[in-house]
Order: sequence, then C-alpha cells, then structure tokens
Amino acid sequence: MTQQPSLQREIHDSPEETERLARTWHSPRGFPGWFTQVNQRMIGRRFIITGFIFFLLAGVLGLLIRTQLAGPEQQFLDPGLYNQFFTMHGTVMMFFFAIPVMEGFAIYVVPLMVGTRDMAFPRLNAFGYYIYLIGGIVLFGSLLIGMAPDAGWFNYVPLAGKAYSPGYGVDIWTTMITFIEVSALTAAVELIVTILRLRAPGMSLNRMPLFVWAALVMSFMIVFAMPAVIVSSTLLILDRLVDTQFFIVEGGGQPLLWQHLFWYFGHPEVYIILVPALGMISTIIITFTGRPIFGYTALVLSVVSIGFVSFGLWVHHMFTTGLPQLGMSFFTAASVTIAIPSGVQIFCWIASLWGAKIRFATPMLWVLGFFAIFVIGGLTGVMIASIPFDTQVHDTFFLVAHFHYVLIGGAVFPLIGALYYWWPKFTGRLMSEKGGKWSFWLAFIGFNVTFFPMHQLGLEGMPRRVYTYTAEMGWGDLNLLSTLGSFVLAAGFVITLINAIWSLYRGQPAGANPWNAPTLEWSTESPPPAYNYRHIPVVESRWPLWDWQERGERSVVSGLSSRRREVVITSILDAEPIGVQVLPHPTIWPFIAAVAASSGFIGIIFHPIFFVMGFFLVFFAMVGWFWPRRPWKED
Amino acid sequence: MRVLEGVDVTDMPRLHPDKRAPLWWGILGLITIESAVVLAFCVSYLYLAFHAEAWPPLGESPPPLLWPSINLGLLLLSCITMFAAGQGINRGNKRVLAIGVTISVLLASTVLVLRSLELMAYDVSWKDHSYGAIVWTISGFHYVHVTSMVLGSTVIAILAWRGYFTQARQIGVVVDTNYWYFVCFAWVPFYLLLYWGPRIYAG
Repeated sequence: MTQQPSLQREIHDSPEETERLARTWHSPRGFPGWFTQVNQRMIGRRFIITGFIFFLLAGVLGLLIRTQLAGPEQQFLDPGLYNQFFTMHGTVMMFFFAIPVMEGFAIYVVPLMVGTRDMAFPRLNAFGYYIYLIGGIVLFGSLLIGMAPDAGWFNYVPLAGKAYSPGYGVDIWTTMITFIEVSALTAAVELIVTILRLRAPGMSLNRMPLFVWAALVMSFMIVFAMPAVIVSSTLLILDRLVDTQFFIVEGGGQPLLWQHLFWYFGHPEVYIILVPALGMISTIIITFTGRPIFGYTALVLSVVSIGFVSFGLWVHHMFTTGLPQLGMSFFTAASVTIAIPSGVQIFCWIASLWGAKIRFATPMLWVLGFFAIFVIGGLTGVMIASIPFDTQVHDTFFLVAHFHYVLIGGAVFPLIGALYYWWPKFTGRLMSEKGGKWSFWLAFIGFNVTFFPMHQLGLEGMPRRVYTYTAEMGWGDLNLLSTLGSFVLAAGFVITLINAIWSLYRGQPAGANPWNAPTLEWSTESPPPAYNYRHIPVVESRWPLWDWQERGERSVVSGLSSRRREVVITSILDAEPIGVQVLPHPTIWPFIAAVAASSGFIGIIFHPIFFVMGFFLVFFAMVGWFWPRRPWKED
Repeated sequence: MRVLEGVDVTDMPRLHPDKRAPLWWGILGLITIESAVVLAFCVSYLYLAFHAEAWPPLGESPPPLLWPSINLGLLLLSCITMFAAGQGINRGNKRVLAIGVTISVLLASTVLVLRSLELMAYDVSWKDHSYGAIVWTISGFHYVHVTSMVLGSTVIAILAWRGYFTQARQIGVVVDTNYWYFVCFAWVPFYLLLYWGPRIYAG
C-alpha cells in the first residue's frame, strides 16, 4: 500500500493452486449436502429466493383482498378469511419478505463488496436461514389449514389476547415472530462483524461502498430494535399460554405496554427495510452515471442519523391513544426531523444525477421510479406527523396509501432495481432490458393506479381492514380502479419473474463487469467462484475498479493457505491487516440446531414442557456444532 | 492487468486469543442484544409499576431480601473465579483454568438450587396479577440464563480438564467468560428492581 509499485512482486497463479482453493471452498451438493452448505453466497441466494417466494405468496393474498374490495357488498371472501388474509399479507410482507430479502442481498453482496471470501460466522448464517425457512413454512401451513393469525400484523391486545382470539392463530403469529427475531439477529451480528473485521486491506471506513454502510446501519438497527419485540412477544405468549396478566386490564395489566414495545421495534423496522434500499440506490446511481457520487460523507452521515432518529418515532403510531402533551410534541418533532436526513439523501442523489450522462438501463429506471413514489410517500408522511391531521385519517385507507408509498416505493422499487443490477453477478447472465422496461412501466403505472386513489378513499372515511362496504358510501368506483391497478402492478412483477427465469437459459453472458461499476464485487467472475476472489484484493480508493483500469495494475494479498478456509482480519477503522482467520467447513449441525430450536418454538404452543425440551436439544446441537475435532491444529 | 503483491500474510497469526478474533465480537453482539432485552424487561416492570394503583398490589409484600442477596454475592464471586481461570490460561497454566471454571460452575449451580427453593416458596403466582407475572417472568428469564451459562461452561470445563486450551487457543474460554460476566451482572438491575424497587417505591 505504501510500497512503490516497482518493488512489488508480481503474482502468477498456478492452475493446481487454483484447483486446490476451489476444492477447499467447495459447497457439497445434493442430499444431504444441501443441508451442510455454509458459504455466504449459497446462504444469501437462499434468503433472496425464499424471500421472493414469500413476496409472491403475500402478493397473491393482496390481490385476493383487492378482489374482495372491488365492489360494495361482495361475498368473495368471508369476514374471517378476510381477516386472516390481511394479517398474513402484512405479516409475510414485513417479516418474511422485506427483512429476509434485504438481509439476503446484504449476505450475498457485502462480503463480495468488502473483498473477502466468506462471512465471519458461516455456520451461524446457515442456522439463521433454516430458522427462517421453518418459520415461514409453519406460518403458511397455518393458513392452509385455516388457523392463520387474524389480529393484524401488529397484533394489538386485547384483541390478540386469549379472551378475544381463542384459537391457535395468534399463538402461531407470536411463535413466528420468535423465528424471525432469531434469524434476523444472527444475520445482523454476522454482517456487523464481517463488515468491521473482514474488509479487504486498505478499505478504511471512509472508502467503504455506500451499500455496505447501509447494511451496517441496518444491522445495528436490528440489534437494538428486535429486543423490544422479543420481550413483547414473550409477554404475550405467556399471557396466552400460562395465564399471566401482562395485558389483561382486570389483572392490573397494560394493553398500551404492547403498543409501546411493539412500535419501539416496529418503527425502526420500517427503516430497517428502507436503509439498505438507500444503499442500493446510491450504488446504482454511481454506476449508471459513471462518476463518483456527490456528497459521500453527507450520504453516510444521513444514513447513520436516519438509524438514530428512527428510534425516536415509535409513538407517532399511537397518537390516538391519549398521550401526555409533551410526549405528543416530542414525537411530532422527531417525526418531522426524519425528513432532514432523508432530504439530504435525495439532494445528494439529485446533485449526482445533475449534468451526468445517465444510462437509462433497467436498474436506473427502478431508482427513478423510487424518486417519484417515495417523495409522494414522504409528503403524506409529513402530513400525518401532524397530530390533528393524523387523528382524522388514523386507521383509514389514507394510511394504507401512505405506507404502501413508502414501503413499495422506498424499498421494493430499489430492491427490484438492485435485482436487475446484481443479477449478472449472481447468475453470469443479464436479464432482458426490454422485459425490464415493460416490467418497470407496468409496475410503476399499476402501483400508482392502485394506491393513489386510496388517499381519497381514506379522506372520504373508508376505514382500513373492513372486509366490505355498502354501495351508499360511494366508495365503489375508486375501489374498482384500485383493484384494476393492483392487477397491472402484479403483471409488472410477474414479467420480472419470467425475465429472471428466461435469462438463466437465454440471457446474454455478462462477463465480470457488465455495467462498468467501480466496486470490488465486479472484479471477480460472474457468478463468483466458490472462493469469491482468487486473491483477496488490496484497496487504495473508494472506486477501486475505475482506478485499476487507469493504472493497469492492482495489488492483492498473498500468503493465504489454499488448504484451509482462510480470510484476512483487518482493523476496524483503517483496515490494516492484523491476522488471518480460519473459517469452518460445511456441516450438518446448523440444520440440526435449527430443527431443535424450531421444535421448541412450535411445541410451546401446545405445552410449556416443549420449552425445556427445545432448550436441551439446542444445547446438545450447539455442543456438536462447536466441539473441536482432532487434529486440533485445524483451528 | 498486472497483479502485484500488496500484503503478505503468511506469517500472521491464525489463532487469536483476544478481541482480534471475530468470535469475540460475535459474543459482544449477543451480549448487546441481551442487554437490550434486559433493559426492555426493566422498562416493562417500571411501566406496569407506575400505572398500578399499588405496587405490589394490596395484600402482597415484596419478596424476602436475604436469599437473592446471597445469590448476588455468589454470582459476583463466581465472576472472580472465572477471571482467575482466564488469568491462569493466559500464563499457560491449564490446571488453574480447569479448577477455576469448575469452581465457577459449582458456585452458579448453587445459585440455581437456591433460586429453585426460593421460587418454590413464593406466595405470589404469575396468574394473580401483572405484578406476579413480571416478577416470575424476570426471575425465569434470568434462571434460564444462569442454566445455559452453567451448561456452556461445563463443556468448557470438560475441554479444559482434557487439556484442549492453550495460551493461543483459548478464545472459547474468553468468550465464555465474557458471557458469564454478562449473566452475573444482569442480575444486578433485576435484583435492585425486584427486591429493592417495591420497598423504596412503597416507602
């Protein structure tokens, strides 16, 4: 790094060495090999695919909801099923699609972006995925047998208490939350340690790609937000299973405690989804303007401050519950404050786009779509941060419109853009541009036709979560329009699905760097080999690939063994190399541990003894997982 | 493109007994998460207390002070023996490590026995009211943590007696010790809240 280039030894790869490295990092295939894989790209890919499957399923539920609401007094869904569907739609979209898919992208892309070969705890990664998968299967299984949760995605007590929701539905919801907590927290710690300790030498914090910054902030937010919902879901399941009195007024319980704990998690949760999307947008803008971004430091600081401020907003979900005056003022102020860092982001992006030669490829289109939609969602956000207005539209379709604008506009559009962007890296082939443009325009138009009329419906007083309405209310026309739009929106997403499958067979081969992007992941083959990088790169700037092209040479790390899974550990701030970490091999133990934990989580719905059983099963699985194997020199 | 050697890591250490190891940071992450859970439990306790007409409810008295205070002493003592064990292996003394971890495990097991007796003698049930519910829940939460710390450290003790750990290969001991400290110190806020809180609040 400080050496003169002329003094550096040139590196030549021998095919035998490369072959050995590939064998060392090889992931077993087939059965039972699939259950033993731990490589970060395998796990990340699974998170992404599973997440999109849940997106599809929850999307179908959304279409069914819209079909029911298309006209007044329809009998397409009965009220009970309608309640299950809207609860499942929200729950699955938030917990089983948005968080896992964002984590999936981070797990796949971040280690490549920071130039390493795997994540800090590969087995923990696999464990988190199995927990997620089993939780999702149980949740959807409950819908198939008609026992799905039906108290809404935020599951308010007393409705969610035993007295008003006697069946298994809410128990399943609470259990499902536990699965997602475990899975999200493992991924968060994993990402934090990987980002702070395993960056390529020379990638100091101020050279870190913006998506990595976003993933770091997202992970810290998960670490501090999830514990609140761990506690609230524990208290609720205890109320339901062993008759504690936390939320039961007659026993001195406090239903509002649920709302505080849930929203203390639930509001940051929205930003947990948004923040990685912000990183995706910055990444795409840099590549498709072909020049460094405007205001790197400002963008980093604003993402970090969004992370902080988002923890001071939770009460704005509770403005109509009767709070002290001071509390109301504080949370109104905080809710408006979040507009400042969000604004900094938008202005830096505008400055980056200004006067640039923008390539309007598909990823860039989705980002521009984000701008339009997110700004509208942000404007309605400022409106409902004001208490008098919020009191008026609380629990109406205005809110439904608002949060779909910020969530789909803020997270899903950038996500689909990122999918098109990184798809060639994932698969080695490009998706069709024509298909991408059709997909974008249908989704963009369909989205606005679906959700814009909801603002008006809300102002006209249509409450959310009603399964039908009478013709005299006069809401029929706008609802029909909205339903038509929802099918156009769905068609847009389906085209991307078809495009993705088609491209696997017919897509144009991508090569290492089809977009001429500046970040490290584009310096290795597409898809990357098992070991990610033949040599771990050494970084001298924020835009390494562009600089290497100019200089015609680059430096790498040498001296890592090809017989063990070795990665470089670097210091937190300056990424000076300080050691080598040997990572573990594929193993079945994470899967066994996940099955053990799941049996406990699911069993407690039926009897508390399963908690004890699950506890000891997990303990034995963990011992098997960590028990050192001879020869001990391996670690 | 020419590929040059930038950094040679051939001679860098592969075993890390301290915070250079990623696992050290992983356990720090776990402790951070669990500390936030501890905090959320404390906040829930206070929220319920401040909204209650009487805390503890009329007819209930706060749980006796003696046994939880003894438990606090035993837990803090076990931190010292754990620390001594770690100092032992830092000097390469496998025997001190094995003995230290074993004593700590025995001390914490004593705590579990005492806690079990104490909880069984409680008049208040978790079914009675929110006060009983939160007292039992926090007690159970900490009990489970002491149990898992005892189980985990028993494994460490077995490995220590078999001579697995050395000066360089001791990250397992280090992270287990750190988690041990956390579980013991988590008892401090719970102890103050459950046993001193109602006395001060009522008085």
